[in-house]
Amino acid sequence: MTSYSNGGFFNHAYHDSETLEMDRRHSSKTHHTNPYASHDPASWGESSEFPGQTHGYDAVGRAPGGGWQGESWRGRESLPTRPDSTRQHDRNHSTFRTDRDSQYGRAPPYQLPSSVSGNMTMRWRRIAVRRMSMFPDADPAHVAFTEDAIKNEMENEEQDLVKELVAMSTRDRIRTIRDLLMSFEEKKHIRRQVEALKSSYKSRQFTRLADFSENVSLSVRRAGYTIKSTRQTLELWQGIMKEIGGKFGSSVLSYFVFLKWLLMFNIFSFLVNFGFITIPLLVHDPSPNIPQNVSFRGLELLSGAGYFTYTVMYYGGYSNETLEGLVEYNMQLAYFFTIAVYMVLCGIALIFSMASSFRQNYVVAESVSNSAWQLLCSWDFSVTNDKAVRQRRNNLSVQLKESLSEKAQRELPTRSEKLKHFGIHFGSWILSTGLTVGCGASIYYLCRYEQQRATDTENWSLSQEAETLLVPFVVSLMNLVIPLFYSLFNKFEHYSSQRTQIYALVVRNVFLRMVILAVLCYYWMNVVAEKFSCWESVVGQALYRLVIFDFLFLMLGSFFGEFLSNVIGTRLLLSLGIPEFDVARNVLELIYAQTLAWIGIYFSPLLPAIQILKLFLLFYLKKVSLTQNCQPPRRSGRAAQMQTIFIFLLFFPFFVGALSMVAYTAWTLNPSEQCGPFRGFNNTFSVVGVWMAELEEISSSQWAVWIYQNVIRSEIFYFLGTLIIIVIIYIFWHVTKGRQELIRLLRQQIINEGKDKSFLLEKLHDLQKSNLSRNPKQKKQKEHTKRHLDDRSSSSHSSSNAMVQALLARQQFEGEERRNAGGVPVPSDISTSSAVMQAMVARQRAEREQDDLYHMPDEYSSPDSALAQAFAARQRAKAQESDEDNGSSAVMQAMQARQRAEADRGLDTGDLPFPVSNVMIQVMQARQRAEEEDRIQWVPAPSQNTAPPGSSALIQAMLARREAQNEYDDGY
Amino acid sequence: MGNKQTIFTDEQLDAYQDCTFFTRKEILRLHGRYHELAPHLVPMDYTNDPDCKLPLALIVNMPELKENPFRNRIVESFSEDGMGNLSFNEFVDMFSVLSEMAPRELKAIYAFKIYDFNVDNYLCKEDLEKTLNRLTKEELTPEEVELVCEKTIEEADLDGDNKLSFADFENMISRAPDFLSTFHIRI
Repeated sequence: MTSYSNGGFFNHAYHDSETLEMDRRHSSKTHHTNPYASHDPASWGESSEFPGQTHGYDAVGRAPGGGWQGESWRGRESLPTRPDSTRQHDRNHSTFRTDRDSQYGRAPPYQLPSSVSGNMTMRWRRIAVRRMSMFPDADPAHVAFTEDAIKNEMENEEQDLVKELVAMSTRDRIRTIRDLLMSFEEKKHIRRQVEALKSSYKSRQFTRLADFSENVSLSVRRAGYTIKSTRQTLELWQGIMKEIGGKFGSSVLSYFVFLKWLLMFNIFSFLVNFGFITIPLLVHDPSPNIPQNVSFRGLELLSGAGYFTYTVMYYGGYSNETLEGLVEYNMQLAYFFTIAVYMVLCGIALIFSMASSFRQNYVVAESVSNSAWQLLCSWDFSVTNDKAVRQRRNNLSVQLKESLSEKAQRELPTRSEKLKHFGIHFGSWILSTGLTVGCGASIYYLCRYEQQRATDTENWSLSQEAETLLVPFVVSLMNLVIPLFYSLFNKFEHYSSQRTQIYALVVRNVFLRMVILAVLCYYWMNVVAEKFSCWESVVGQALYRLVIFDFLFLMLGSFFGEFLSNVIGTRLLLSLGIPEFDVARNVLELIYAQTLAWIGIYFSPLLPAIQILKLFLLFYLKKVSLTQNCQPPRRSGRAAQMQTIFIFLLFFPFFVGALSMVAYTAWTLNPSEQCGPFRGFNNTFSVVGVWMAELEEISSSQWAVWIYQNVIRSEIFYFLGTLIIIVIIYIFWHVTKGRQELIRLLRQQIINEGKDKSFLLEKLHDLQKSNLSRNPKQKKQKEHTKRHLDDRSSSSHSSSNAMVQALLARQQFEGEERRNAGGVPVPSDISTSSAVMQAMVARQRAEREQDDLYHMPDEYSSPDSALAQAFAARQRAKAQESDEDNGSSAVMQAMQARQRAEADRGLDTGDLPFPVSNVMIQVMQARQRAEEEDRIQWVPAPSQNTAPPGSSALIQAMLARREAQNEYDDGY
Repeated sequence: MGNKQTIFTDEQLDAYQDCTFFTRKEILRLHGRYHELAPHLVPMDYTNDPDCKLPLALIVNMPELKENPFRNRIVESFSEDGMGNLSFNEFVDMFSVLSEMAPRELKAIYAFKIYDFNVDNYLCKEDLEKTLNRLTKEELTPEEVELVCEKTIEEADLDGDNKLSFADFENMISRAPDFLSTFHIRI
C-alpha cells in the first residue's frame, strides 16, 4: 500500500502527461496551498489520501461528469480576482516533487493571499459538509468505519487546517477561523495550535524580532477590538432598535436602520462643512455683519429669512477673501472643494452601499418559490414579543390557507375581466400622472406669483416674510395628500402580486416628488437667479423653509397617518383595524427630505445641522407613533429587496438629480455680484482656473497645472475614459451572462444527478428483492465454490453478486488502507450519487448477467462464485492483517475479483438499455484499461499475485472514493 | 473595569474575539446574561474555564428565545450532547452564529440543522410538518399541512429525492435575501 501510494504520487507521468491541466490545478488547489503541507517526508507515505486525490481528479477529467467540473473551474479561473492561481499551482507541483524534506522553518517562496483564501473557502465548505454528514451516515458500506478511523480522519483534517491557517496573514486567519463550522471549543483549540506552530517557526529565526512583531500585532489587534467595542457603545439607539425589531420584525426595523444611516450621512456632511468652511470664517471674523435695522423676530425659525440672511447659515454670509491667520486660507477654494469633495464622497458611499446591497439581495434575481420560502425562510427570529409572535403565526396560517385555496380554484380571467382590469390600471395611471403634472404646474405658477410680489429689498416686513411660507406649505401639503390619493387608487386596482402593487405605488410617489423638485429647481435657476441680487441666499432660504415644513408635515403625517387611523380603526370603523406601519411611504419621505438637504448643501452649507436635528426628532416621533398606534405588518414582505430598491432610488433619481443641479449651478450660472465667496466670477468653477493661474508662477506645482490643463480641461480625456468604461461594462455584462448560463447549467446538472440517483436506487431496491429470494441456494453452493476457487477465478461469471462484491472489496480495501497508513484520512463516503452509481453499475452488470444465465443455463458460470471469491479474499486479508507488508496483496485480490467481474461484463455492455449507465461503464472500463497500462509501465509489481490488475483495482477503488468526494464538493 | 477583568483573562477575551463575531464588551454582556440564568450555578470567575452547563429548560426561558417557536431546536443544535445542555462557550457560539456579522453560509448550515428535527441530514416531510406546526400553532388541518409540505418539497427539491438536502436548502436560501436579516437574534 505504502509503496503504491508513493509510486502513484511521485509518478511524473501523472502530473506531466496524463492529466488535463485543469484537473491538476484542481487537485493541487484543494489540498496543498502551502509548502508547509509537505513538511515531513514520512507523512507522505502515510498520507494515502494524496495519491487518492490525484487519481480522483484524473477520474473527474475522464468521467462523464468531468466536462462539467472543468467548465465550472474554468469559469472560476477566468475571474479577474484570481489572476495568479496558475502560478500557484505550478509552485505546488514543484513542491510536491522537490520539497519533500522541507522543514517547518522554511519560509514559503511567496504568498498569494487572495487565491489562498479562495481555496480556503472551498476547503472549509468541504470540511463543514463532511462534518455534518459523517456520523449519521446510514450507508451500509460504512459499517466497517470504526470510531478510530473517523477520529483519525478528523485529526488529519485538523492538521491540514492548522498548517494552512499558519500560512495566512493574521487578518485572513481570524476571519477564516470565525467562519469555520465548529464549536467555539474547537476553534479555540485550532487557534491555539496555530499559535503554537507559528511561534515554533519564529523561535528558530530572529527570535527577538519575531517576539517584537508578535507583540505589536497583538497590541494592534487588541486596540482594534477596543475601538470596535467603543464604537458599539457609542452606537445610537441600540436598545430601541432591539425593541422595535422584537415587536415589529425586521421589515419595520429597516425603516429605522435607514433613518439612522441617513443621520450618519448628515452628521458627516455637517462635520465637513462646519469644519472646513464655517470654522475658519468664524475664527477669522466671529461677529456677523448684520445691518443695524435687522433684529431677530422669531419668524426666522420658520422662514429662514431676515436675521438669518446675514449669518453663516447661507451662501451670502461667506466672504471671498483669503483669510490671513497663521496660514493663508483661501475661502473660495475651501468652499468649492468642500462641497465638491462632499458630493463625490456621498456618491461613492451610495454606490458602495448600493452595490453591496445588490450583491447580497439579488444574488439570483429570481422570485423564490413561495410556499417553500414561507415555510423555511420567512420566520423572523428577531421577533421576541409574544403578541407579535402570535399574530405572525395567525397571519402565516391565513396566508398558507389562502395560497392553497388560490391554487385550488385558480381560473383564468375572462376577456371582459381582463379588459376591466386594464381599464382600471390605465385610468389610475392617467389620473395619478395627471395629478402629478397638475401639482408641478400649480407650484410653478405659485412661485411665479410669489416672485412678482417679492421685492429685492434688504429687509422684509413681517407679513412679507410670512408670505414666503406659502410655497413650502403648499408643497408639503401636496406631498402629504397626494400619496393618500395614490393609496386610494391602489385599493381599487387588482394587481396580480403584492410586489407589483407596491412597486406601482412607489413609482407614482417617486414621480410626484421628482416633478415637484424639478419644478422648484427650474424656478430657482431660471427665475430667482435672474432677479435677486444675492440669489444663492434666497434659494438657501427657500430650501430651509422646505426642510422645516417637511418636518412639520412629517409630524402631521404620523398624526394623521397613524394616530388618526388607529382611532378610526379601533373606535369608528372596526373593519379597518389597527393600521400597519407603511414602510414604503415613510422611507420615501425620508428620501425626499434627504434630497432637499443635498440640493441645499451649496446654498446653505449648514443645512445638514437642521437635517440632523430633524432626523433625530423624527426617530423618536416615529418610534412612539409606531409603538402606540401600529400593529406588526400582516404580510412578511421581502424587506431586504425593498431596502435595496430604496437605496437605489435614493441614489438614482434623487442623489443624481441633486448632484446635477448643484453641478449645473457651479458650472453655468453666474454667482451673485454682491455677496458670497464667488462674487465677481463668471461661474463658480472659474475659481479653479484662477487658482491654477496663480500656481503657474510657482515652479514646484507645475504638475497640478499640467493635470488641470491636460486632464480636467481636455475633452479627449473624458472621451477616452468614457470609451474605456463602456468597454469594461460590456465585458462585465458578458461575464455576468456567462455566469447566469453556468448557474442554469449547474442547476440542470443537479437535477440530472438526482434523476440518476433515484433511478439507480430504484434498481438497487429491485435487485435486493430478487437477491433475497435466491440467497438460500447460494449458501448451499458456497462450500463447493470455495474449493474450486483457484481454477475458476479467471473465468467466473458473477451475477447478482457483482455489486455485493464491489462493496465488500471496497470496504475491505478501506479497512486495510487505514491499518497500513496509520490513521490517514479516508474520506467518509459522504457523497451520494456517484458512489452509489459506481456500485450500481456493477449491479446492473450483474443483472444483465442474470438474464444471460437464464437464457444459457448450461454455461459454466455460478452466480455466487464472485461472492465467494470476495469472501475468500477477505479471509485472506484477515489472515494477513498482522503482516503489514503483504496487506496490500489481500486488498488487491479483493479488487481483482471486482475488476474481473467488470472486465468480463465489458463485452456485454453494448446493448444495455440505459444510456446513462452504459456510458458510465464504458468510461470506467476505458479508464481502468488505461490505468492498467500505466501501472505496468511505472509500478514494479510488489506482491505475489498478478500485480498489475491488482494495483489498478486499488487505483480504481481510490478513484471511486475520490470521485464520490469530488462529486459532493462540486455538487454545490 | 476592575471587577470585569476578573471574569476572563485577556487571553481568553482575545480568543473569544478571534473566534466569534463579538467584541469584548459583548462577551462580557453575554456572560452577564448567562450568569443571570442561574446565578447560583454559573461562577463569576471564568478564568480557569469552569465546567458548567445549563440545561435547555433554563436557556429557552431567555427573553430572546422564549417566544421563538424553534427555541428548543436552536438550543439543541448548538449543544454538543444534542440534549440542549449548553456550556458558556456553546452559548456564545449560538449567539455568534445568530449575530448580524455571521456569514450566510454559516447561518444556512445552522438553520438547516434547526429545521432538521430528526437529525438525518435531510429535511424530509416529517421535519417540514413539524416546522409548519410550530409556525402556525397547529391551526391547519392535517390535509392542509400535507399539501403545504408537498408543495414545499416540490418547489425546493432540485434532485428529485422527495426530501431537501442541504444543497436544496442552500439554493433556496440564496434566493431569499431576507434570510440574512431574519435569521438574526439581537442580544
